[in-house]
Amino acid sequence: MRDFLGKIVTAIAAVLAAMLLIFLLMSVVPGDPASTLLGPQASPEFVRQYIQQMGLDQPVHVRLIRFFENLLTGNLGTDVVSGRPVWDIIVEAVPNTMLLAVSSMALACIIGIPLGVFGVMTKSPTIDAVITSLSIVFVSMPSFIVGIALLVIFSSWLNWLPVLGASADASLLDKFRAMILPTTALAIGWIGIIGRLVRSSMLEALSQNYVRTARAYGLRKSLVFYKYALRNAIIPTITVVGMGFARLIGGAVLVEVLFARQGLGTVIYDALISRNFSVLQGSIFVVVVLFVFINFITEYVFRIADPRFSKDAA
Amino acid sequence: MGPKLSRRHFVGGAAALSALAPLGIVPAFSQEHQSFIARVDRDVENLDPAFRTSLTDSNVIRVVYQRLIDYNVGAYGWQLDAAEAIEQKSDLEITFRLKQGIMFTGGYGEMTADDVKFSLERFAFPDAEGRVSSYRQDWADLKEVVVHDKYSGSIIFERPAPNIWQSALPHASGAIVSRKAVEKFGAQFGRNPVGSGRYEVVSFSAQDGVVLKRNPLFLDTPGEFESFTVRFISNVKTAQLAVEAGEIDFTQVPLTTVPELERSGRVAVSVIPTQKFIWLGLNTESPKLADIKVRQAIRAAVNIDEVLLGAYQGKAPRLNTLLPAGLAGHWAEAPVYTQDLQQAQALLAEANVSGPLKVKLTVLNEPVFNTIALIVQAQLAAAGIEVEIDQREGGSFWSAGKDESGENMELYITSFNTSVAPVANTRWFLPNQIGDWNWSRWNSPEFEELYDSISVDFDIDSRSAKLIEMQRLMDESAAFIWLTSDVVAYAHQTWLVPMILPNGVDCQYAYFRRA
Repeated sequence: MRDFLGKIVTAIAAVLAAMLLIFLLMSVVPGDPASTLLGPQASPEFVRQYIQQMGLDQPVHVRLIRFFENLLTGNLGTDVVSGRPVWDIIVEAVPNTMLLAVSSMALACIIGIPLGVFGVMTKSPTIDAVITSLSIVFVSMPSFIVGIALLVIFSSWLNWLPVLGASADASLLDKFRAMILPTTALAIGWIGIIGRLVRSSMLEALSQNYVRTARAYGLRKSLVFYKYALRNAIIPTITVVGMGFARLIGGAVLVEVLFARQGLGTVIYDALISRNFSVLQGSIFVVVVLFVFINFITEYVFRIADPRFSKDAA
Repeated sequence: MGPKLSRRHFVGGAAALSALAPLGIVPAFSQEHQSFIARVDRDVENLDPAFRTSLTDSNVIRVVYQRLIDYNVGAYGWQLDAAEAIEQKSDLEITFRLKQGIMFTGGYGEMTADDVKFSLERFAFPDAEGRVSSYRQDWADLKEVVVHDKYSGSIIFERPAPNIWQSALPHASGAIVSRKAVEKFGAQFGRNPVGSGRYEVVSFSAQDGVVLKRNPLFLDTPGEFESFTVRFISNVKTAQLAVEAGEIDFTQVPLTTVPELERSGRVAVSVIPTQKFIWLGLNTESPKLADIKVRQAIRAAVNIDEVLLGAYQGKAPRLNTLLPAGLAGHWAEAPVYTQDLQQAQALLAEANVSGPLKVKLTVLNEPVFNTIALIVQAQLAAAGIEVEIDQREGGSFWSAGKDESGENMELYITSFNTSVAPVANTRWFLPNQIGDWNWSRWNSPEFEELYDSISVDFDIDSRSAKLIEMQRLMDESAAFIWLTSDVVAYAHQTWLVPMILPNGVDCQYAYFRRA
């Protein structure tokens, strides 16, 4: 229980520190938000009003305190441009981003884990080398570039899949089809990471004494491989997947922009480009909270998966 | 000889088709193209005319709300819209009479002169919540709107405002809202627009954009399409692929993609001149550029035709003065400068510039501006002027010429959209704009006097003459090297005929039609 409370305090401190950093960065970022967002047509009175509404006439610490004061009442502020509560904008966007992140990580695991295992199981050094090279290629390809290539091939040339995200009232099938390319674009890099990680963890596990002992006892090869070696080799993968899931939310920014999907990434990107600070600080707060929360959950899943860790902690 | 279609065959065919209709089995041609999707590169944010944020908002606003007068289709002249009659009664008064029976959508009743009063006055004065309109400038001279009876009234000005007829009345700043609806929704009115235009907003979401359907209550000729959608896609490559795939029907595309799109033959491409003004500016207060001979030397060293060839593949028309052709007051006889490196070097020598002159050129980090900057850098190098290019993203670029940072500006390349009211385009160069949008920090009291005089002048010829004189003063200053009035490329489905005002960027969605 004490450990749990300690983790909660650490998580809150992490969120506070991250927001402090964000506010500091926003205060030093060059550019006048009113000019960027409103252009030359804005009257000086409107610019003043806008700056005031955004709270940009206040020092950073006052803005930060106000932000957290509002947060305690469940208020993430109001977008001064559209007049909408920032919370509404985020609530509309988060499900799209979560869906993209979950489907991408699922796809990365479905392909990456067997890829890593197959690389170890195969007797052919050529196949192993091909898989290893493929993993490196996947890791080194930016999702934005992969996305453009997928769009050109599957949407423009072959006309098999749609370019844009499906509309809210589209059929389930259309929504599924619209998910395929962005999911693949975002998953590709993680397929390589997971594949390489599983391969190296498997090789390490297979060299352990308990595996040698199991073999010496004459246990079936597949049993040794999947029950003993893979089960242990998968533990570091859980941590990486957990951490990676949080990072995927960040990685989704460019993919969402490319595929015109209205998610958290698009909201942050547009707010950053237009210097819409009220939306920016609210959406970054949500991302930070999600990041901390997912890491928190990952740690507990890791403890369940690896009993040694729980015992050590106890 | 081909088969003949007799009246009997035609009637029989029509009967068979009508029998299939209840089953939902009807030929595609009867249902095709009842709607279209237009892509925008900036999200629709606020459909409250007084608090709109961008050109994208304005284009939708002009579809949703009526104004007393509207622009002609594809032209800057005007036609009656909500007004049955409208007249400039005196320099300080415009009288109007509304058509009877104009109904606001959503059950907000009939449009009255009081709605006109409410709509226009909320631009000029803070609203009940103390909010100031972002477009207050458009109605800066408004004194009040006097209501005579249910349908008629007078717009009264503090001082003559001839520009109102071009820039405010037919534009989004002339949109008539329902007082009842605004008072009900308050700051949320921008997401719950209530108008009386050809189309009404049925949904407004981040993923699907703004969906509009034909307004059944609209009194005049209805919109051609049952519905249309304005959808935000920030990435232009995505938009290009989407229009080729038929997922959207209309989008702006970069000029560089035109040959590729034309080759593919999958969509129609229109390249149209705009009325933007893009120029290379020189800060007259910079110690390096304060001497007019240095500015003239830079102007002599630039080869504008070469710039246009490199940056626009020669498709953009050259601009020799502030106001592009097509706008009243365009200075057709403006000097056309050609590159003269010897003259440039001689002028530098006259200005006692010893050693190479080093200047910084600030540009927006967009491909076309970067290309212009690189070409200008090479051209000036030939005259012995070293240019350091300072590329900036939008946020920092648009504030680079302001306040104290503007004092350090040397050369810059920028672009402004043109207002339909010619004099409105000159206001950015007034002395009171120094530190704001007058990045050349050019201070000409004579220019300011002409501006003040033209702003209250109703005589078209006199206004044009003054505008030309203002442009002559700008030319004399050598603080502005005009480059181009720009071109814009649109890709659209072959069955769609888009309508765009002469500035090339104000889309008239209400008048989009099938080919």
